[in-house]
Amino acid sequence: MQRHLRKTILAAAVLALAASIVVAAGSASGSKTTTAKAGGTYRVGWEGSFGFTDAFDPTGEYLGNAWALYSNLLLRTLVGYNHVAGAAGNVVVPDLAASVPKPTGGGLVYTFHLKSGIKFGPPVSREITSKDVLFAMERLANAKDGGQYPFYYTVIKGWDAYAAGKAKSISGISTPSATTIVFRLTQPTGDFIYRMAMPATAPIPAEVAKCFTGGKANQYGRDVVSSGPYMIQGMDSVDMSSCASIKPASGFNPLSSLTLVRNPDYNAATDSKAARQNLPDEFDFTIDSNADDIYNKVAAGQLDDEVSSPSPKVLRKYLTTPSLKNLLKQNVGDRTWYLTLNLTQAPFDDIHVRKALNLIIDKTGLRKAWGGATAGPIATHIVPNPMLHNLLSNYDPYKTPGSAGSVTLAKAAMKGSKYSNGDGMCDAAACKNVLMIADTRAVDKGMVPIIVADAAKIGITLKVRSVTGAYGVINTPKNNIPISERPGWGKDYADASTFFDELFASSTILATGNTNYSLVGLTPAIAKKVSASGTVTGIPSVDPQINHCNKLTGNTRVSCWAALDKTIMTTVVPWVPYLSAQNLNVISTNVTKWNYDQFSDQTAYAHVAVK
Amino acid sequence: MTLYIARRLAWTLLVVGAVLLITYAVFFLLPNGDIATRFAGKAPTPQLLAEIRNRLGLDHPWYIQFALFVKHFFLGDAYGWPGLGYSYGGGVSVLSEITSRAPRTLWLITGAAILWLVSGVAIGIVSAVKRRSLTDRLAMGFALFGISAPVFWLGLMALWIFWRILGVGGGTGYTPIAQGVGSWAGHLILPWCVLALLYAAFYARMTRNNLLETLGEDYIRTARAKGLSEREVIFKHGLRASLTPIVTMFGMDIALLVGGAIITESVFNIQGLGWLAITSALNQDLPTLVGVIMLTATAVAVMNLVVDVLYAFIDPRVRYA
Amino acid sequence: MTDGRLLDVRGLTVRFPTPDGVVQAVSDVSFTLSRGETLGVVGESGSGKSVSNLAIMGLLNAQRTVISGEVEFLGRDLLKLSPDELRKIRGKDIAMVFQDPFACLHPMYRVGKQIAEAVTAHSDASRSEAWARAVELLDHVGIPNAAERARDYPHQFSGGMRQRAMIAMALVHNPAILICDEPTTALDVTVQAQILELIEEVKREFNIGVILVTHDLGVVAETANSVMVMYAGRIMEYGPAAEIFGRPQHPYAWGLLDSMPSIERRLTTLVPIEGSPPSLLTPPSGCAFHPRCRYRFEPCATERPPLAVPAAGTHADACHLDWEAKVREGAKRSAARLGDAA
Repeated sequence: MQRHLRKTILAAAVLALAASIVVAAGSASGSKTTTAKAGGTYRVGWEGSFGFTDAFDPTGEYLGNAWALYSNLLLRTLVGYNHVAGAAGNVVVPDLAASVPKPTGGGLVYTFHLKSGIKFGPPVSREITSKDVLFAMERLANAKDGGQYPFYYTVIKGWDAYAAGKAKSISGISTPSATTIVFRLTQPTGDFIYRMAMPATAPIPAEVAKCFTGGKANQYGRDVVSSGPYMIQGMDSVDMSSCASIKPASGFNPLSSLTLVRNPDYNAATDSKAARQNLPDEFDFTIDSNADDIYNKVAAGQLDDEVSSPSPKVLRKYLTTPSLKNLLKQNVGDRTWYLTLNLTQAPFDDIHVRKALNLIIDKTGLRKAWGGATAGPIATHIVPNPMLHNLLSNYDPYKTPGSAGSVTLAKAAMKGSKYSNGDGMCDAAACKNVLMIADTRAVDKGMVPIIVADAAKIGITLKVRSVTGAYGVINTPKNNIPISERPGWGKDYADASTFFDELFASSTILATGNTNYSLVGLTPAIAKKVSASGTVTGIPSVDPQINHCNKLTGNTRVSCWAALDKTIMTTVVPWVPYLSAQNLNVISTNVTKWNYDQFSDQTAYAHVAVK
Repeated sequence: MTLYIARRLAWTLLVVGAVLLITYAVFFLLPNGDIATRFAGKAPTPQLLAEIRNRLGLDHPWYIQFALFVKHFFLGDAYGWPGLGYSYGGGVSVLSEITSRAPRTLWLITGAAILWLVSGVAIGIVSAVKRRSLTDRLAMGFALFGISAPVFWLGLMALWIFWRILGVGGGTGYTPIAQGVGSWAGHLILPWCVLALLYAAFYARMTRNNLLETLGEDYIRTARAKGLSEREVIFKHGLRASLTPIVTMFGMDIALLVGGAIITESVFNIQGLGWLAITSALNQDLPTLVGVIMLTATAVAVMNLVVDVLYAFIDPRVRYA
Repeated sequence: MTDGRLLDVRGLTVRFPTPDGVVQAVSDVSFTLSRGETLGVVGESGSGKSVSNLAIMGLLNAQRTVISGEVEFLGRDLLKLSPDELRKIRGKDIAMVFQDPFACLHPMYRVGKQIAEAVTAHSDASRSEAWARAVELLDHVGIPNAAERARDYPHQFSGGMRQRAMIAMALVHNPAILICDEPTTALDVTVQAQILELIEEVKREFNIGVILVTHDLGVVAETANSVMVMYAGRIMEYGPAAEIFGRPQHPYAWGLLDSMPSIERRLTTLVPIEGSPPSLLTPPSGCAFHPRCRYRFEPCATERPPLAVPAAGTHADACHLDWEAKVREGAKRSAARLGDAA
């Protein structure tokens, strides 16, 4: 019996093994061949989930990764970018419009002339007119349609009235002809041109979008009609004869993949090769829940690019292997990571203490927690250098040897403080057990000990509370949090107003969702409104400077912002900036051409190619 | 028996309802942070947040939301029947998402189940019959390994050894069977093996222990005394009696995997129901989460009933009032 | 064989090697069995009565047992057969019925099926033929409505019916020998009698040999033709039943008979044999019973008494006592047992 039993089981095992080998051989060979299309397919592994803030509906979509897809591939705006790296990538160039207009009428009027021959993609397939741009703006103004940054356009005359439902149209936008659209503003707005390059302003065909309003508005994200060189796969099969017949495009599965193919109605003659080269025939974005797997596949050539964060192991591999070094792309993004100091809370209500902190923090140490030098250059002021046209690249008001902090310099700064008894240390009771809010990501865990140790060197003892989702705590002024290591701020577009307006203007101080964490410009009245307490008088304000710079244009505007940056760093000192984040991309050997899009801080899909 | 089944089905409904109520309560009463903020992007103005809350139905108290859900479930909603709603992140109706993900999970479970049942029971039998021999000790050692090794580690190791180094198997991801059986099986073979390993180990141990116990029973001695061959004694008499607890376990294991193979699905990027559950939990997407939980809870409760009824057929001593 | 002899066991010894030592379960047991004979094997628990029979049937775990001796059955030595050959004899030529019929029947198969299994184990009968035979046998052993009852499960049978079914199962192939290991111990007294009667009928009808193992002397007195008294794995006394009961020769047998409460005599106290059975790991030297024996003297502790017939016209026993002493004590006991009837 026992012999018999053993034999049977052995036979079964051998059979199973043989079967699996046959199956594996069949699929192994199948998985290594690439599709043989002219131009090829650019395959991107996307970690976890797309994370769209508004289901890929351009009107409300605020995710940088989505903007990269819109701006490079899917949507054309009145004006746009060339999708290159560095300062050149932040320069506004014509897209739908024939040229970038200069404001007239005392800086209040912007007139755009559209090129002819630019069409919507399937299923609409007709010429784009000024009315389509107007439709997009009205959709953005209508709060029920889910727009997430309409506040940029409140400077347009009649916007607020329309948004409040008091007017049937926006009086400040007119369309005298099919190819002309005119914007009238309520005040000179020097960065208005940038605002007209944002994806929500791209033309939208009313015949399709009218089916997606109110609570269902973001379902338009499944059927975004293309105005650019690519479209969502399957849009040509969408039946738009009635609202009920419009089905989601087959190429977009919100939980697992997005495929973009060439838009047959795109006319390359109306575009410029400097902005878009359109080399691959298809773009595949696929979700992978296993981050390691994405990098393995890129290394194996099964994926070409990734939307994820390389682990230290992957970084090490690419940095130390000579043949792989070129496949790790490092580009400075327009984002600053900083420690925020609350001007109302002791001991940070004293400028000497804030300056001393800037001088004692070991910024190189903090950067190590982010992965070391590959994480990016040390930040020494508010706005990232590319945005200020590198005017402040050598500006470091709190310079210390190796950016590692200096006890001597810090103590010297502390001397004038009311919390010090003259020994250069923070001695008063207010310096002890100061609450710091930290988050719980790996980088936070790495940074907290360094900050605590450094603060102790000048007599400040920090009491750390770690919270997942720390933003939720520090963006509520009522919590009166003295200091936090969590924040970072990136641009919406390449004008420094996107930093200063949200971070340091008194008008943006809110009771919830506040981004002026330091409460710069706080007055007792505002403090009462948002329930902030502590030192609420004598808080420095930079409102006049912000308003002044906002009116300017061109290079004078940039210089104005640079000067404001310096002023804030020396006379307000609300931050300890430490890192100008770098964006890292790992690509495969299939990629024959790759570029970085400074506007969206992602891969410049407009300028990539595969074998 | 029919009365018994009817009573059990009624209980099932109650149990699933209770599970959902608790899910809603936990979701809303735990300090998750403001869900609306998650979907509001960089500058969450109060007005935007109010709009989002209204759109997602979050401006009702949680028990009202629950009641609305129950109503839609039975009466259907804009997206079909049963009405499971629209995911918070937008872009998909929960019903369509679940129906498109379910086949993957079901294929994963089916393949793995067959694998672990056959191998687990076979190993258990060999071990029991050759008790204390080297074969037995190796088999139980393997079982210990299978039970102790974390599934995510097994999955990553399998991928690394078999796919990366040896080039066997299709790697991660899932291709539907319509796109080619070879590719479909190639992608599933590693997940099947990894998922099956843990359960095979359990089943091997269980089978061995049950069979050993059964083989000590008097009716085994009678069977031998009758002159039956040893194979008949073990399989017809021994196994039959020792398999009843295994049947129970099998039913429950399968049911729990309906929404529960989270780690395997994540490591192998199969994006089935387990992956859907964890993704929607992390994204605070309540409707999708509730949809998957509902499916799993129903599967478990129904399987429970099926197994109990089956038990009555397997063991004639069991009778239900 | 011409003289109807079925079984000739010579020097059967069964040892179990264990980590603690070797257990001497059965030591040098010899007996014979003929057609039409009922051999009653009596002894306490641990006396080796069940183990000897299991050894004969080949139901002990071969890897953990050392069996020596000869068991001649119809000309073949069972101990020298391969497991497969032995399997062909088991259930066909030698059948066994066990003590607890509830535990001995598979709870999940119908009774008829289990009997039919016994049929197909040794023949090419079809399912229906086997089933028919099962019904026939159930009817034969006295189960009413046999055709319907065959479809029942064991838990639907009463204790007595189950034992009848076990007997039916054993009779399927008309075995030459029927071994019954404590067949009535688990049944109540009235049912006991029925079962014993059934076994007796079956023996006569099919002219088979029956080995009836029990610890109950009353059972043996009813039905056995010959009796074998076992203690600590050895035979103490062996001979015709009438002689064992009428003129017992071994002190152990005397003790057994004395300890039996009789319905005919009023007792104020029970009369047990002092002491307890020995460990089979380290059995006593010499005669296994000597530590408890009232009659022991020098040779008992050192020399193991052989099983032998002490004088002409008597039966075999294993005791050093001289013949006169045995006769004297035996007669005294018989008188005491029979004489107080009045």
